[in-house]
Amino acid sequence: MWLRNADPPDAPDDGRLARLFAAYREACPDPEPDPNFMPRLWQRIEAQQFFARDLKRLAQGLVTAAVAVSLLMGVFLTRGETPVSFYTGTYVEILAANQADENHAETGFLPVAQDNL
Amino acid sequence: MQADFELVRRAREGDHSAFTQIVQVYRKRILGTIARLIGRPEDVEDVGQEVFLRLYFSLDQLRTPEVFEPWLYRLTVNAAYDYLRRQRRRGEARMADLSEQQVMLADAAAGGLADREQQRRKGLREAVQSLLAAVSEQDRALLILKEIEGLSLKELEKIYRVNENALKVRLFRARQRVLKAFAATEAKAAKTVGE
Repeated sequence: MWLRNADPPDAPDDGRLARLFAAYREACPDPEPDPNFMPRLWQRIEAQQFFARDLKRLAQGLVTAAVAVSLLMGVFLTRGETPVSFYTGTYVEILAANQADENHAETGFLPVAQDNL
Repeated sequence: MQADFELVRRAREGDHSAFTQIVQVYRKRILGTIARLIGRPEDVEDVGQEVFLRLYFSLDQLRTPEVFEPWLYRLTVNAAYDYLRRQRRRGEARMADLSEQQVMLADAAAGGLADREQQRRKGLREAVQSLLAAVSEQDRALLILKEIEGLSLKELEKIYRVNENALKVRLFRARQRVLKAFAATEAKAAKTVGE
């Protein structure tokens, strides 16, 4: 893959250009890597790993905090919205209780007094 | 010299010594390619580090070790593009001007002018870089990979994930532009000599 490609030039000008590029290739040899190349690379890799780890920890902390806040808000809202209970007895009991207090005089129906019986 | 598949497979599985070996096998060539792509010797190491850093964190995305080399080349080209983009944003002077000036200063500081061979190489580098400035960054990288690094169309196809015909068209157009710039430079030089 890394060998010079020896495609024949398509035109005379292409040939000149190819020669110029070959000369350029020769004028720009592969530079010798710095002896600290690998140590520096590992340092950068580790720094990035630490950064990613810290970021992950921060994200996890934020998610935990968000869940806790959501739960607290849920509890608070649930307590606030609890409907007030007006009726404590069953339907029949409440009906009976209401009927006892009812005044049927206006309807022409009067409850019979116990004494008249 | 190529890293074998076993080495790539081991590096993918998190073997640090395998990764170190891969870097040692490829770094010189990758640095050479970067040097020709960005044309700024003092930043070559940094961009090279960026390439291998990206390689380390993307090895698990590599589907098969067989495509490792095109993959590494793609990372190299992308890192070079990113560097050039950053440079453009900073609005810095072109490498050819600045680094050659620095080289001259360094030579002067060392107590003498660069020798004849160095001057010839410098002239050649400047000439080719000014010719390559006639095309876009993408086409320049493509031309460098094909004409200077010597990659085949099949290899470029894997790197760019573009079909061969499209690459041929792009290369043809880029070459034509460079040839036009070449002809213009020659005409200018002939005119200067004539005067």
